[in-house]
Amino acid sequence: MPKIFIDDRAVEVAEGLTLLQAAESVGIPIPHFCYHPAFPPEGSCRMCLVEIEGLPKLELACSTVVKEGLRVRTMSPKVVEARKSVLEFLLAEHPLDCPICDKAGECKLQDYFEEYGLFKSQFKEAKEKREKKFKLGRNLILDRERCILCTRCVRFLNEITKTEDAGILNRGIHSEVGIFESEFIDNNYSGNLAQICPVGAITDTDFRFKTRVWFLESRESICPLCSRGCNIIMDSHAGYPRTLPTRRVYRVRARQNLDVNFHWICDYGRYGYAYLDEGREDRLVWKKGDRETRLSWDKAAQILSEKIRSLVHLRKNSRIGIVLHTNLTNEELFLADRVFRKGLGVEKLFLADPPPGKGDEFLLTADRTANRRGLQEVGLPVQAPDLKALSGLDLLLIFGHYLAAGTSPSDLKNALEKVETKALFASHKSGLDGLVDFVIPVPVIAEKNGSLTNIDGRVQPFVAGLSFAGDGIAEWRALLDLARELKVEHKYFSRLASPEAIYRALRKEIPFFK
Amino acid sequence: MIKALGYFLEIIKGGLITVRHFVTNMWFHTLKVLGLKAKRRGAVTIQYPEEKKELAARHRSLHRLLRREDGKPRCVSCLLCVTVCPSECISVEAAEDPDSEIQKVPAKFIIDLSRCCFCGFCVEACPEDAIRMDTGKIEVAEYRRADLIYDLDKLLK
Ligand code: SF4
Ligand code: SF4
Ligand code: SF4
Ligand code: SF4
Ligand code: FES
Repeated sequence: MPKIFIDDRAVEVAEGLTLLQAAESVGIPIPHFCYHPAFPPEGSCRMCLVEIEGLPKLELACSTVVKEGLRVRTMSPKVVEARKSVLEFLLAEHPLDCPICDKAGECKLQDYFEEYGLFKSQFKEAKEKREKKFKLGRNLILDRERCILCTRCVRFLNEITKTEDAGILNRGIHSEVGIFESEFIDNNYSGNLAQICPVGAITDTDFRFKTRVWFLESRESICPLCSRGCNIIMDSHAGYPRTLPTRRVYRVRARQNLDVNFHWICDYGRYGYAYLDEGREDRLVWKKGDRETRLSWDKAAQILSEKIRSLVHLRKNSRIGIVLHTNLTNEELFLADRVFRKGLGVEKLFLADPPPGKGDEFLLTADRTANRRGLQEVGLPVQAPDLKALSGLDLLLIFGHYLAAGTSPSDLKNALEKVETKALFASHKSGLDGLVDFVIPVPVIAEKNGSLTNIDGRVQPFVAGLSFAGDGIAEWRALLDLARELKVEHKYFSRLASPEAIYRALRKEIPFFK
Repeated sequence: MIKALGYFLEIIKGGLITVRHFVTNMWFHTLKVLGLKAKRRGAVTIQYPEEKKELAARHRSLHRLLRREDGKPRCVSCLLCVTVCPSECISVEAAEDPDSEIQKVPAKFIIDLSRCCFCGFCVEACPEDAIRMDTGKIEVAEYRRADLIYDLDKLLK
């Protein structure tokens, strides 16, 4: 491992790193625009200049590889002077758009100007006028005045999506990002372009003008929309200012995880967040005929466990059915197994999932649920929900609203009418609501704690990024409450009071989760 | 005894001061009413609302939104006033302007005057000189709270 000196600090760094990466690895940031960890160095922005002892000129930190004994200065007066000039040149052609630019607040150009700026403009000429609303992609708008020609977008399209739709056209002052043949960029990963553009040149029509970034609070989560389990950041409204529209999530961004999704997410996951607020179940109700009574979960748990207890007492375990789905966390699937199958001897476990979609070769998988692998590893023996089997039951606990999707409404209605008691634990409204006796709202993955196992068997814990309002209950809590009411293995379940505790038990009992 | 006399002396002195002010003010007030010596101020109560005091040039009164030459609002929905407002009483929703030079226009612009503390920060923050508090209207009172919520149309008037 070569030993180098950065600002007089001796550091040992891995072979083959560039100076910029080496400095970053020891916590010394070097300003840059064109460098992006996903691509080889480009060296077009000149922002990363550093001084190397013994060399007459400043060097690019992003494309100089470390060598034993290099002495680097990242903040010497010469370097600062050079960075100021680089910025000044960039700003000579940059519009004064910050007040109306979506990137403001997270724009590197703005940040570096804050750090190095306050120079007097020496530019007397008028700024060049360029196109400000070029349709770059299905959901992308390019502002050519704001573009600093870092080519990150071009490299993304060449190296990640390999669609090679765009390039830098023309030369000198006329250089601009342009599209070659297609009408505009249209692929399932185009949303990443707005995220990697270091300035506000590429804006995302989904987010454009909706709010300002400083009103948003970023919370980490995991995308539940396919089995890849991409790591994401949800930018949600933090409650200030009070007067903004009451939308919770304004955008979803990729969070770096080199083992799962690198720096990217697909557009299906990026723009598919409307489900968080739309069509949510919000009232816990008990329906008797036409009458709907609102009740608390505690009360509902009592009634349900009373029914379960009497069936178990009469040795009618075989007349209890549970419908599960694979958007439940590892912890919840594990609890479902331990409470119903092992604890109560319920054999009829069904699985009703949303239908698969079309996957692509990169991140998006065909399986549109988050935790099918988890279900396999927990080892729950589940069967397809055959309506005939369902109709022969006395009690049915349905988790998820997916049962309504696969079957014809009238058949489902006929089948469920024969079942004496039906309880639905669902996050979203569906055709099932009218067919069951209890509707119990539950949180979605973004609103609870737990872990998911992705398609490659990677177990990813997550915490709630959004709060769950309304009178529902998280499934893991509901399962524990039922176990408590039914007095199944009190000693065992009373220890499992949180998703973390459940996960500890899971790790102990199932070797896969070790 | 001497002490008590001292008290009386002070009371009489105070009374004389009051009488002096009364007589002087009455004298100037009478002159003013008769139209003589209007310049010299007596300590006279302004007969509001019949008579109104002139507002200082920098007085902060009811907000207004300014227009461009072609009549469109100057506001570009940058939300900087929303950001700075300590009372959280402004809410702005942006829309796309067909003119790509302008880009952002307010689709909604609401100031909830029942919360506003008239600090004037919104005016200071605005990069477009789109909002001012120079209407001179200080009687912003209503019978219903809802009437204190000013929208784009009301603010552009
Ligand atoms: S549009 Fe953005 S990412 Fe692309 S070259 Fe310009 S500044 Fe770089
Ligand atoms: S690939 Fe799957 S997990 Fe990743 S963002 Fe897309 S839908 Fe979400
Ligand atoms: S005057 Fe102050 S309180 Fe009133 S709207 Fe402006 S910033 Fe808000
Ligand atoms: S600060 Fe000015 S331009 Fe920006 S939203 Fe407020 S009034 Fe409009
Ligand atoms: S980051 Fe080194 S030249 Fe752009």
